[in-house]
This record gives sequence, C-alpha cells and structure tokens, in this order.
Amino acid sequence: MMLSSVRLLQLALPLVKNHGFTRDALARSVMALPLSEAHTEPLSETSVSALFGSGDSSRRNLIKAWLDDGIRYMDTMPPGSSVNEVLRARLEYNEPVLQFLPEAFALLASPQSGLPPLDLRPALQHASTIADKACRITGDKSLQLAWYTRRMSLATIYSVSELHQLTSPDTAYTFLETLLHSSVSFKSSLNEVDLFSSYIVKSWRGIINSYGIL
Amino acid sequence: MLTRTLRLTAIAHLFCQGYANKATLTSTIYLNPSRSRDPAISTTPTTLTMRQQHALDSALRVDQAGEIAANWIYKGQFFVLGRDPTVGPLIQEMWDQEKKHLAVMDKLQVQHHIRPTILSGIAKIAGFGLGATTAIMGKEAAMACTEAVETVIGEHYDDQLKEMECLPQEHPSVPLLKSIVKEFRDDELEHLDIAVTHHSQRAPAHALLSSVVGVGCKVAIELCKRF
Repeated sequence: MMLSSVRLLQLALPLVKNHGFTRDALARSVMALPLSEAHTEPLSETSVSALFGSGDSSRRNLIKAWLDDGIRYMDTMPPGSSVNEVLRARLEYNEPVLQFLPEAFALLASPQSGLPPLDLRPALQHASTIADKACRITGDKSLQLAWYTRRMSLATIYSVSELHQLTSPDTAYTFLETLLHSSVSFKSSLNEVDLFSSYIVKSWRGIINSYGIL
Repeated sequence: MLTRTLRLTAIAHLFCQGYANKATLTSTIYLNPSRSRDPAISTTPTTLTMRQQHALDSALRVDQAGEIAANWIYKGQFFVLGRDPTVGPLIQEMWDQEKKHLAVMDKLQVQHHIRPTILSGIAKIAGFGLGATTAIMGKEAAMACTEAVETVIGEHYDDQLKEMECLPQEHPSVPLLKSIVKEFRDDELEHLDIAVTHHSQRAPAHALLSSVVGVGCKVAIELCKRF
C-alpha cells in the first residue's frame, strides 16, 4: 500500500466504532483529513478498491491496522505495570468496537483462497503478538523454553478472556483476573513438583553412591 | 581443517597474550548489578530496519544456543573426566567460562527482546551426548571435540563481527555488543589453544572426528538461526 493509503487507514480507525470494519469507514477516511485537504464526499468504490484492495481485502487491511493500533495502545501503559493491567487495557481497547469484532474475527479466519475451511493463523498471531507485547511491557525475563511457555499461557488466557468479552463484556475483567490467578497457582504447583522431583533424584544418587556404583 | 585449526591456534596465542593483559573484561558490565540501569545494557536500538533486526535476532539466538550447547558439552566431559587430575580442572575452568558466557547471553536476549531458540532442549541433550561420548573415547578425543567445536565457534563469532557492522553504531548497546562478541571469540580461541596444547591432535581418527563435529556444529548454527 502507498503512504497515502497508510495515512488514510489511520484516519479510518476512529470511524470504526460507528461504521464497523467496512469499506464505508475507509471511504469516509478522506473526510477526516485536515481542513485544507479534507474531502466533502466519501471516496468512490473504485478509489477504495484502488487504495485498500478490492472486496474483503480492504476490510482485512482495516482490521489489521486496527489490531496494530491495539498493540501501540498497549505501549501507553506505564513501565512496571502488571500483566493483569496490560491485558485489561488491551481488552478495554476492544470495547468501543465490541459489536463489530465477531464479524471481524470471522473474516480474518476465513481463508482467502477457499482452503482450508478455517484459517486459525491470524487468530494465533493476534494472541501471540499481544502476549509478547505484554511480556515486554512487564519486563518478563523468561529464558529458553520458559520464554515460550510464558507467552503461550498468556496468549491462551488473553484469547479466552477476549472470547468471554464478546459474549459477556461486563464480567470479562474479573474472568481475566481469575485466569491469571489460576495460572500463577498452577505454575507454583509445578515448581513444587519440580523441587520434590529434584529431591528424589538427589536421594537416589546418594543411595547409588553409597553402594559404590558411581 | 588442520590448516584452519593451526591458523586459529596462532591467532589464539596472540589473543591470549592480549587477554592476559586486560584489567577488566567488557562482559563484567552485564554481571554487575549496580550497572543494570546503564542504557548500554538495558535498552535496544529502536530504529532498526527489518534486515538489521533480523541480523540481530538470528545472531543473538544462535549465540545463546551455542553457549547452551557448549555448557552441556563441558558438563558431559566433566561427568566422565571430572576426576582426572590433568584434564578435570581444565574442563572445569573452560566450563566456568562458558557459564559466564551463557549468563551474559541470557541478559542480551532479554535486553534486545530476542526470541530464544526452540531447540534448546535438543542442544542440551546433543551437547551432553557429544561431550560424554568423546570423553569416554579418551582425553585426547575430548580435547579434539573441544578443538573442533571452538574452531567453528571462533570462526562464527569472527563472521558475526563483520555482520554487526550493518547495525547503527550510535546506539550505546551496539559497540558494547561487538566488544562482547570479540571477548567471547577470544575466550573460545583460548579454549582451542588449550585443546591443541593438551594433545587434541593425537586423538584416534582426529581428522574424521574433527570433520564430523565441525559439520554438526555448522548444521546446528543454521538450524538455531531459523528456529
């Protein structure tokens, strides 16, 4: 896309809450330009197709721009914020356009070429990008495989909370908090199992040493 | 392989002389808690192009994976030869240095937001297996393994220094990163020098062993760059 279309996409984002992720929102973006450049009429269908792609491609571009803006929105969180605060802020970002999100996510999951019938890659990328951003903002210092498990667990928690938000917006934040709390408890239990296992290994090593095998 | 090793050994001698004279090492800045807020060790360049970001990502990912594998190679060697009065302390000394390298690489991973390799578990098992197997074959074979590994790693760090010229030098973390890679390259070449001094080239089927280990290291480097 050209630079002008990138600029127009940004101007279309505030229009999503009234017009949804539609070509109409894209067409009206020119009316939000500064006064000296603003158009009085929305763009024609041909212009929208030329600038943002034909058919649903233009809508996909608008949804992707909105998701990227959501990642930038997370950057506004102050340093030292907790994971709960960061993910909660990202859920709050959804609120103004919540009614349009099921259709937007369905569109992203629809394959452009027909096969496979459901393309989960955009959903996975959406959740993993948010989890990675949350880890960066909160100063996560996970290493090696823990780096992956931390992000996978946050991506899952966020995805489930977002799905919950689509059906029950009022309880989404409490639900998010509960999931995060459960994951901390689960991690703590795993650490205890790990510690206990290390004691067993050490005691067996001691027994083997006492027999003079090693 | 032999010519390359001799060339690197000669370089290693030169580096070791300089290394011994160094009062402080660059990497110590990462292990000093009082410097943790220094921008050179707590920030990452934000103006990187896609190509530069990719270069930094793959470089640090493979370096960290290499240090993990090196730690486990020495762990495997120490498991078998730890009680040997000649090579036991030597392996311990080289292992301690690799532990420090890994600690610094871990800090660099967090600082520059690098995705670590997903193959770290395989690197540990393969590293331990390689170290223990060569140690079972004898002291010379263990040293030949060290020689082959450190030859590839020394060359890899050297190539990486040239690649890092494309990064923006004005950000304080970049000159520091280059300095650390130089220091680690010198350490690896010092290990190579130790291995040659302790008769690595007397190992049975030295040329074959070196080639197999060298090719294995190169394949591992390429895999870790991507995964």
